[in-house]
Order: sequence, then C-alpha cells, then structure tokens
Amino acid sequence: MNVLIVEDERSLAEEIASFLKKENFLCETALTGTDASEKIAVNLYDFILLDLGLPDYNGFDILKEARESGNEAGIIVVTARGAVEDKVKGLNLGADDYLAKPFALIELLSRIQAVARRKFQVNEQAIHIGGFQLMTQSRKILFGEEEVEITRKEYELIQYLAFNRDKVLTRHQLYEHIWGNVLDDRYDSNFIDVHVKNIRRKLAAYAPATWLETVRGIGYRISSDKD
Amino acid sequence: MTFFSLISRLIFTVVFILLLPKIIERVNTYQTDIELIHQREKVIKLIEDKGLEQFIYSDSVSSFGSYNILKNEFINIEKTNLKNTWNFIEVTDRIIEGEIIKFRILSYSFKVHGQNYLLEIGKSAESIKSAEETTKKVILVFLILFICITIASDLLYTRHLLRPLNLIIKKLKSTASPEMFDKSPVNSSTADFVRLNQTLNELMDKISASFSREKEITVNISHELLTPVSIIRSKLENILMNGNTDENVQIKIEESLTTLTRLSSLVNSMLLIARIESSQYLKEETFTAAEILNDVCDEILPVAENKKISIRRELSGSFIIETANRSLLFSMFFNIINNSVKNTAKGGEILVTTVSENDISRIIISDTGRGMSREKMETLFSRFRSRQGDESDGTGIGLAIAKSIADFHNIKIDVKSEPGKGSEFSFTFFKNS
Repeated sequence: MNVLIVEDERSLAEEIASFLKKENFLCETALTGTDASEKIAVNLYDFILLDLGLPDYNGFDILKEARESGNEAGIIVVTARGAVEDKVKGLNLGADDYLAKPFALIELLSRIQAVARRKFQVNEQAIHIGGFQLMTQSRKILFGEEEVEITRKEYELIQYLAFNRDKVLTRHQLYEHIWGNVLDDRYDSNFIDVHVKNIRRKLAAYAPATWLETVRGIGYRISSDKD
Repeated sequence: MTFFSLISRLIFTVVFILLLPKIIERVNTYQTDIELIHQREKVIKLIEDKGLEQFIYSDSVSSFGSYNILKNEFINIEKTNLKNTWNFIEVTDRIIEGEIIKFRILSYSFKVHGQNYLLEIGKSAESIKSAEETTKKVILVFLILFICITIASDLLYTRHLLRPLNLIIKKLKSTASPEMFDKSPVNSSTADFVRLNQTLNELMDKISASFSREKEITVNISHELLTPVSIIRSKLENILMNGNTDENVQIKIEESLTTLTRLSSLVNSMLLIARIESSQYLKEETFTAAEILNDVCDEILPVAENKKISIRRELSGSFIIETANRSLLFSMFFNIINNSVKNTAKGGEILVTTVSENDISRIIISDTGRGMSREKMETLFSRFRSRQGDESDGTGIGLAIAKSIADFHNIKIDVKSEPGKGSEFSFTFFKNS
C-alpha cells in the first residue's frame, strides 16, 4: 500500500516512514503543504497521514482539496493541538481518523489497518490463537463453540496484541489504545497488569494461554512460537 | 446610610416624646392665659358699654359670681379696697359649694365711679389638664403616623435608588470567571452607578484578556513541547521494535518511554486545564448521576478487586445532571475514585452515594483509606506541587484536573479527611441559573 506522510518535522517523518516500510508500506514524505498538495494531485495514494500544523498551509485545506477532487485515500489527520474541535472538523471534512501527538507508531499502524478494513469491507475474520478464536466483528472470544466470558476492555486488549502478533507492546501503548481518548493522567501501569491477569485467568479455564507472554521490563506479547 | 437615618429619627422621636408633656403644658397654659385675657377684655367692654349695673345692680350687693354647672369655669366681680392695681394670673384653690377645686385665675382690678372693683376669671385646672391630654394624644398619633410614613417612603426610595447597585452585586456574585460577566448596561438615573458598571465591564475585559493571553501561551507551549516528544517517542519505539538490541538496552528504552509518557501526560494535563478554563468544552449533555458513576466504578472495579477493595454504590436514579460535559465529568469522578483506590489498603471499602435535599444534590465518595493531614489537604487540588508521601504513579495532577472540571460545571468540592481515618469527597451540584 502507498502512504504519503505529510509532516513538516523531517525527523518525525523519517521515523514514521522507517516504521511503515518494515510493515510493507511504500512511503513518500512531503515536508511542506505545497509539496503535499502537488503530490496528492499527481499520485494515487492508499493512505495519507496528514499533519494539520504545517508552516505554509492549513492542513484542513489539503484535506478539503483532496476530498473535493474525489480522492478516496484513507486520510488520518494528526495534530499536536489535541483540541476537540480539530477532531470534529477533520472528521467532518472527510478524514477517516484522527491521532493526537505524541502517538505510538503501533497505534498508527492499528488505525491504518482499521481504516483499511472499513474501506475495503473485510468481513468477519477470526484470529486463531492456541485453540481460541477472536471474532473481530462481534468482539467475542470462542473456544471451540463456547464463548469465553470476557469484558469489552479485555477483548480490546487481547485483540490489539493479536493484531500485532510477535511484537512486544509496552503497557503504555496498550493503555493508550484502550483508554486513548481519556482526558486525564490516569496512565497507570497497574491497570494493564490487572486486566492481563484477569484475561489469563479467564482463558485458563479453557486452555493454558502461555502464548500471552509477559516480557520482563517491557510489556506484553502474543507469541506465535507458543501458539 | 438607611440605618443611620433610622437611628437618628428614632433618637429624635424618643427625645420628643420625653419632652412632650412639658411642651404641651407650656403651650396649654399659654393658650389658657390668652383665653382668660380675652374673656377679661369681653367683660370690661360689656361694663364700659352697659355699665356695672349689669352685674352689680344695687349698692347693697357687693359682688357678682357666676360659674357653670360643671364648675370648671367661673367669673366673679366684687368691690374691693385694694390700693394697688392687680393684673396677674395664678393658680389657687377655691371652695365652691363645699368643694375644693384648683383654678387658674386671672385677677384684674379696675375703678368705676371712684370705687375699686376686682374681676376674677377662673378656669379649673382639671379642664385645662383634660384639654392637655387630648392635645397630647392627637400629637402622639400624628407623630407615630409621620414616623411610619417617612420610614416607609425612605425605604422605598432608597431601595429604588440602590436597585442598580444590588443588580451589580448580583451580577458579580453569579460570575464564576471574568468572561462570564454580564456586560449589559445598568438602567439608572444615577450617573455613579452607570459609571461603576462601566468600570467593572472594563475591568472584566482586561482580566479576561490577560487570562486568555496566558491560556494561549500555555496552549502554544504545549504544541511546541509535544512535537519534540513525538519525535523522540517514534525514534525510541523504532529502536525497541528492531528486536535485535540487547535485552537490557530494551528495558532502558522502555523506561525512557515511560518517562516520556509522564512528560507528555503533564503537557496534556496543562493543555486540558487551559482548555477547560477558557471554556473550550461544550456543556450540553444530560444524564443521571447513577449512569456516569456506574460507568466509572465499572472501569475501576478490576483494579479495586485486585486489591480486595469493595466499591459500594448507593445511587438514586432520580439524580439528573444537566447541561454538562459527560466525558469531563467522567474524568473528574474517575480521578477521585481512582485516587481513593490508590490510597486505600487491601480489604478496604469505597462508598459512592448520591444525596438529594431540596434544591441541593450531592455526590459523596468516601473511603476507608489512609486519609490526609491538614497540610496535604490544603495543596490537594493545586497543580504541579509536590505532595509529601504521595506514592501514586502518574503525574499527580489528576485532582487539579478534577478541580478545574468541577469549577467549569459550578460544582463545589469539599474534602473531609483525617490521617488514618479515610477521606470523603463531596460534590455539591447547584441548579444552573
């Protein structure tokens, strides 16, 4: 998939590009609004990652231009302002999602994947891990025919790990993904630990869940080796 | 001012009432004397016109006397051998038909055909007194009426006069922040009040301008800070995900990321408070207190259960929160209850209750935790101030956020706490007017 990264901070644009390349995306960067506007007019992108705070251009104008010319790329707007009205305005102007700086690269990937699933209308796919099935549409975990009793937050957590299989996710990345839009400083590593503990207990009633690993000092991972 | 005029009037009235008998007595005596003199003139004129024979018709009769039936007036003329002329008024006792009666008597001597005569005209002291009483009563009634009327009219007038001032006070009282001040002009014929209102308007404008400048600076600084944080974060995450780094390096990177999280959390909190204080959030949702508190409790429950802390809820379904921002209030209650969980030991209890009395609704969150000292309570809601013995992770700004959300919604937070005896946070909701 082709991604255009519109970001005036060269260093940040490079990091995002380097990360997405590893996830098999083809990346181009535009450091100015003018550059971005030209590239969008000429090339066809599957995704545009658009920073709203550009020095020479109002990010919303690029968004408007793109949508008015019939561009159907998935557009995710990024801003350091984090204001509610920016989010609302962005979505109203045709953005597919919104991310506030500083965001986790993993979170960006997850948003791109979510937009892709929505755009290309992927039907319910089950993710298979160690005898369990994660039903991504209905947000349930099945063991054979039986449904595992699990809360919505617990499901979100395990699915996020499953989508990023074999990657270590830090507690904070997990926390941010699940409680991302909260308006306070409630980041509390304890929250994630408690939820993982509960998930393990609930899964263990059906089968051992050794694939849900704790990576010492870093976070958690679903490992394919132990699947 | 009203008080002063009232007091001065009262003093005046009391002094007047005390002096009243003396004054009336004087006035009445004076009046009686005038009457007596007037009657004397009439009698003398009668004698001059028609002669003394009208009264003393023969030489054998030496005097003439007449008094009315009730014996309160009399007239008497008699022959006398007085050398000097008499013309005075005095009070003396007279015996009339065996009764001693006190009279005020005018004595006047005159000469007719070489013979001296004495004229006496008397008025009984009792009749004078009774006239006095009547006068006194009339004056008292008038005085009281006068006082009442002037006080009432004064009150009405001052109230009318001070109405604009009261209006301004009311406006100031209902102003939570300078930009909320009602800038409408005050209708008053008093130039001073109009000027006062204008001055207040200008003052509020100045204050809110400097407030919004400060908030703008906060917002700008936050943006400037978040971009470098964003770059460092992406770099560290990329290194961590490379996977081929040493395990110890990975742990250090994770620690750096956690520190970075603290930094961005602080910046975001600052940003959030600045936004709340500049009223950038909408307040247009209506929901029940039970709804939102249940959501908050459900969210915290796993962590509480992990610490064997029970959360008891006593929530009334009829407690409705109007014109509010749900996600802000969610954060507020979350921060408070989460704080309680952090400060309560294993096996403790947290109680969440709603209380409604008349027009006042309260939400009370209490815990059996370690409580707080008075010093700690004083700085509880202040921002970025280090708090002793605060072992909670996070930035410790959660309560400051809760406070600014409460202020934004006109909710009053009260804290009761004692070391070792738990804490109680109470949220008082006022009807939005």
